[in-house]
Amino acid sequence: MSDFTADSELDCKGLLCPLPVYRTSQAMGRLAPGQVLKVECTDPGSLADFPAFARQRGHALLSASALDGVQVFYLRKEAA
Amino acid sequence: MGATTAAPRRTTAPSGRDRNRLTTDPHRRRYGGVRDLIASLRNPTPLVHLNRVANGHDAYLKLEWMNPFGSVKDRTARYLLEGMRARGELEGRELVEATSGNTGIALAALAALEGIPLTVTIPSGVPEEKLVLLRMLGATVMPTPDELCPIDNPRDGAIALARAIADSPAHRGRYAMPNQYANPDNVRAHYETTGPEIWEQTEGRVSVFVAGYGTCGTITGVGRFLKEQNPAVRVVAVEPQRGHRLPGLKNLEEARAPAILDRSVIDEVVRVDDEPAYAMAMRLFREEGLIVGPSSGAIAHAIAGLDGAATGIVVGISPDSGQKYASYYASLIAEEGEPS
Repeated sequence: MSDFTADSELDCKGLLCPLPVYRTSQAMGRLAPGQVLKVECTDPGSLADFPAFARQRGHALLSASALDGVQVFYLRKEAA
Repeated sequence: MGATTAAPRRTTAPSGRDRNRLTTDPHRRRYGGVRDLIASLRNPTPLVHLNRVANGHDAYLKLEWMNPFGSVKDRTARYLLEGMRARGELEGRELVEATSGNTGIALAALAALEGIPLTVTIPSGVPEEKLVLLRMLGATVMPTPDELCPIDNPRDGAIALARAIADSPAHRGRYAMPNQYANPDNVRAHYETTGPEIWEQTEGRVSVFVAGYGTCGTITGVGRFLKEQNPAVRVVAVEPQRGHRLPGLKNLEEARAPAILDRSVIDEVVRVDDEPAYAMAMRLFREEGLIVGPSSGAIAHAIAGLDGAATGIVVGISPDSGQKYASYYASLIAEEGEPS
């Protein structure tokens, strides 16, 4: 489903917006530049939130997909 | 209030030593627990006359920081928890609340007394002093950047986050949210305590009441009570400007108006800038000896600016003390420079 290998994964299924973005922000803080985080969400608002979040924080949103009500995002932490 | 929760928990027969224990005695200001210190009609917070800064008005500040956890929010927190307990909402649950600090501190203290875990979501800009107090009381603190919810709530990220924690299906109802912005018990706290106290303490002669827009529990509850006693009482709301630095106050254009706000009890809204609010806070320190927080400065500034000589007795709320705002006041002092 994806060509990206995640260094870390975050399960945000069943969490409402803005909790997925909040948890993701914390998780990105623990990554080193160049590492990739995979996030799974079920709140449909995530599809709008994650691109905006990545833009604001300067992370690369490598992929965003949705299947069977689960959205999957791959974010790469960029060098500061 | 609190009669059921204040009952002493004694499971064994009193020992000889316990027989000699002092009983609680409010006249000697001796209490069975800190909860009993929260203000009520029998134990009101003081009204202190403003002798220098009120621009000639016959004005008093009601010193809410004399409450045991340090602010007007002690009343709110007590009523919020008592209401939730009465409705069975606390059974086996944790608490989550969005707060700029003072409600969180009072909730954290009361929750700690009852062994209930508390998570607080906090907007950016809340002073470090408050975060430390919350952590000292055992609360889990989640600082929330304003831009957290870029799509829906650009300035209310902390409220949205608390709501999400309470409502997320993954948490299976583990969290209960007092929601001071929408909970009528917040208004009731002030309708049943702060309002009657002011009426009694002014012997029914209060003619102007001044409080800030925040959760709007104080202005709505006190305003409603005072207007029921005397419809001629003028209720003045103090509102900060957009992007202000006055913790606890809200500009209702940039923040959503709280559900509990009842605009029908408000006669007038006074907009106050940060600079005169801080200048007035400093005057309250130096000319009245009142160690108040910045929001008290905003309220006193609004009092000094009231029009009309015949305003009668003015009562303003002083929500909290200046002890928690060292980091805010430091820049004010720095502007004065070093002594030469």
